[in-house]
Amino acid sequence: MTIAPPSPTLSFHSSLQPHCLARHASVGLSERLDPIPPYGAVLWLTVARSAPPASIDQVVSDFDGVTFHLSTPESKSKILISINVKCFKELVQYGAQEVLEREYGPYIVSPEPGYDFSVQIDLENLPAEQEAREEMIMKLALLKRNAMAAPFERAFDEFAKLAEEASRYTSESAPQGIKEGGDVMSIHYREEEAIYIKASFDRVTVIFSTVFREETDRIFGKVFLQTSCRDATECASGALPQHSPLELEGVPGVKHAGEGEMSYVTFVLFPRHLTPQRRYDSISHIQTFRDYFHYHIKASKAYIHTRMRKRTADFLQVLNRARPENEERERKTASGRTFRVQS
Amino acid sequence: MSQSLRPYLQAVRASLTAALALSNFASQTSERHNVPEIEAASSPELLLNPLTVSRNDTERVLIEPSVNSVRISLKVKQADEIEHILVHKFTRFLTQRAESFFILRRKPIEGYDISFLVTNYHTEALLKHKLVDFILQFMEEVDKEISEMKLFLNARARFVAESFLTPFD
Repeated sequence: MTIAPPSPTLSFHSSLQPHCLARHASVGLSERLDPIPPYGAVLWLTVARSAPPASIDQVVSDFDGVTFHLSTPESKSKILISINVKCFKELVQYGAQEVLEREYGPYIVSPEPGYDFSVQIDLENLPAEQEAREEMIMKLALLKRNAMAAPFERAFDEFAKLAEEASRYTSESAPQGIKEGGDVMSIHYREEEAIYIKASFDRVTVIFSTVFREETDRIFGKVFLQTSCRDATECASGALPQHSPLELEGVPGVKHAGEGEMSYVTFVLFPRHLTPQRRYDSISHIQTFRDYFHYHIKASKAYIHTRMRKRTADFLQVLNRARPENEERERKTASGRTFRVQS
Repeated sequence: MSQSLRPYLQAVRASLTAALALSNFASQTSERHNVPEIEAASSPELLLNPLTVSRNDTERVLIEPSVNSVRISLKVKQADEIEHILVHKFTRFLTQRAESFFILRRKPIEGYDISFLVTNYHTEALLKHKLVDFILQFMEEVDKEISEMKLFLNARARFVAESFLTPFD
């Protein structure tokens, strides 16, 4: 896992652009699955390239209202990275603290005021090998991913437990139906949108609720989702646009899909997606769903807009052909005076 | 061009050419005014019989002639929700540029998607047969454009869905 080294001219400002995910998504066939936030480039410059330490104080925004703060509060060689996630309380409830401690153990410091979680790296105390450094950068760049991964990991573990229990049942006595399995974990990661995760003995269900502000967005979204459904029969995990899924019955704060702009997308992760080898990628990938989905809706709208613009220009050209060609024009003498030809 | 489209367009062309026989006509109700009579509708004797040319129940053209102006309204085919939104966006796009499309009406009349208003000043300044050409070409291309955009949207949706779900395979 490497990120492409940024060009030498890269300034800190360029790192403020929306992060690399969109660029990967536009290519469509992204090789890497992790969303790398923009400050990866800053870290790359200072840590991997061993550029001279500089004082940094930069706030970086990511999707879903997540903000990062990179700063060097004490000395230039100590970089403090803080993250603010809207739903951090919920994430902690689902075990985010343990996941983050596992990932960033030695680097964790007490959170900066106004932020939820902070890590500090000491540039004088870096691993010696280049590879280890790169790995560390990647790890730090995945702060958001790891924070959001906690409920998924918990669900996957729960699935493993339930599956083991279920293997002891005979087919008749096995619990059936969607009511079975663990509790629904809800993560309200945006103002009005949430992810719901539910583990069961034979699957993990992930439901995204999403809001479409505009009629056009809603219809484009519907086209996109219907197509995913059709493809889903070929692929394993299915995306089904649903009207308030049955799994979410009785979960507080779930609005009905019929009323308003809310719609629900359900992914079902089957055991083969949940194996220890694949779970890392599955978690990284499914987290990016909302951004990916909305990005493509916006991109299609933009394309259709430019297309209409071009077509309008064509129509205008056709209409202008209706003008007679030999229209009388003002003529000028050599000295610049104007005159009209007397007919 | 499909079998049913050709006679439809021919009928529209013939009717339009006939309807675009306009003359300068000052208002009868207010002095020193000269308004498109089809919009003002102040005197019934100046309005001629409106004519509808329909291809099917979703595509039709309404031609409303009068002594000094003709109003032409189009209804574009909208088979489903996507086509509906695309037509809506496209016509809105055009009407917002009505200033440069001098014969385009800013607001379509009720029940239609887009309207044109041709007055005697337009037929005096512009070539009449080219105006008819424009409207005919417009009718042809709008359908084509809408279906192309719809195809694009579906193709992109499929590609996007596939590439999102591939890692789960």
